Amino acid sequence: MENRLVTIFHGPQHPGITGNMSVELDLLGETIHRARTHVGYLHRGFEKLIERRTVIQAFTIVCRICVPEPDPNEENFARAVEGLAGIEISERAQYIRVMVQEMSRLAAQLLWMGGQSGSIGLETVGQWSLYDRDLILDLFEQLTGGRVYHMYTYPGGVRRDLPEGFLRRLGELLDHLEKQLPRYDRTFFDNATLRKRAIGVGVIDPDEALANGYVGQALRGCGIRRDLRRDNPYLVYDRLEFDIPVFDGGDVYSRALVRRGEMRESIRILRQVIAQMPAEGAIMQKLPKHRKFTLPRDDIYVATESARGEFGYYMAGDGSEYIRRMQVKGPSLIHGFTLLESLLVGEELSNVALIMNSLGICPPEIER
Amino acid sequence: MTFSHIDIKGIVAPFSAVGKVWEHPGTVCYPDQTKTVAPGYRGFHTNDLDACIGCANCQDVCMNDAIDMVTITQERNPKNKSACIPRIDYGRCCWCNLCVDVCPPDSLSLGQECIHAAPGSQDFLFFPKEPS
Repeated sequence: MENRLVTIFHGPQHPGITGNMSVELDLLGETIHRARTHVGYLHRGFEKLIERRTVIQAFTIVCRICVPEPDPNEENFARAVEGLAGIEISERAQYIRVMVQEMSRLAAQLLWMGGQSGSIGLETVGQWSLYDRDLILDLFEQLTGGRVYHMYTYPGGVRRDLPEGFLRRLGELLDHLEKQLPRYDRTFFDNATLRKRAIGVGVIDPDEALANGYVGQALRGCGIRRDLRRDNPYLVYDRLEFDIPVFDGGDVYSRALVRRGEMRESIRILRQVIAQMPAEGAIMQKLPKHRKFTLPRDDIYVATESARGEFGYYMAGDGSEYIRRMQVKGPSLIHGFTLLESLLVGEELSNVALIMNSLGICPPEIER
Repeated sequence: MTFSHIDIKGIVAPFSAVGKVWEHPGTVCYPDQTKTVAPGYRGFHTNDLDACIGCANCQDVCMNDAIDMVTITQERNPKNKSACIPRIDYGRCCWCNLCVDVCPPDSLSLGQECIHAAPGSQDFLFFPKEPS
């Protein structure tokens, strides 16, 4: 029988798609001949919504730009406003913010593990990792009053002080997660199924990665040691010791190992934060009242290393209480279009979910 | 015959998952059991009418226009000259807590109650309860 080109839509409602987006695939048998990314199912216009809100009101929108990992957005927004308004935050607030970033990174990596294990049929691991993520969300609930949208990192510091005994409970959770990591190794990272499915699949060329501006695991998974926390430190990252895990393969498996290494490093950072955080100090600077909080006529670019790579915000003020322009530069735009469309060509249909998950594509951030 | 190409460790190690069978489950049997909500959880609003001054700061700061100031006739704080109190539309509220942050007498707060189901959109308009 003659091979015919068949076009199918993979998503937007498909368990192997990372969020509300779809990939149009031209197939020759099981092999992908061409891939085209389609977005538009989730457009809420965050950037424009923010321009129509005052500085204080806009803060509540940014966390929605990335549901699995909202905290880098809050951090970027807060740091951009602080940079424009000339606000210095206290040392204690900086340590708390690092703690929030690393807890958020751990939660995001565990959620990723749930998705990636599900994409190759290892559902047991996914249930474990989502349970462990829930333990982190329990701590976020105690700290911020919310489990997913924390709305906690605020221009000028953080909104609430740590609850009684919070650092002790965080230490106990880190003990638990450290015990879990070897278990994840045995059942997921060293699993013959994952190795067989992921090694040599979705290979990224390092030169192409640099030239096209790939970030995060896409870059570190092909041997390039780039991490904003080390290259352009913010908050108190320059006082903390941690390694940047790097692997050379460039494939899905290397990106998984990078994430595994990053979980261990996040635990290491959190232990240092617990030890070094000043016991006392202001958590929030005095801010102008709602309608009096204005930004000068100036602009700024700030960036945070999220669990999926560099996440940047450009913000411009015009002297009023409104933000004149805000633009989000997340990892998903370049990974979801340029990278994904080229990586899928020549791959099997069954590898689409595997490759998408490895790149950490998050549609709300494409359609901000 | 050699088996060097077979990933023995990768095949055997995942069976260690069976050990989890003996551990205590992490889930609860809802609704027979429920999880305790953390103190400081951002649930439905409460409003202390003895303290509320009807200033409408909460309405002004709300970025979703989820708060209306509604005239009341019941007993209230004598300083509440406007005779208005906030009414929240939970179809619009995002539980950001900004209204609580800007409340001058601290009468408004977010409580721990967080479950509500109703068939009509009008059923999502709430006058905050008195704090318990």
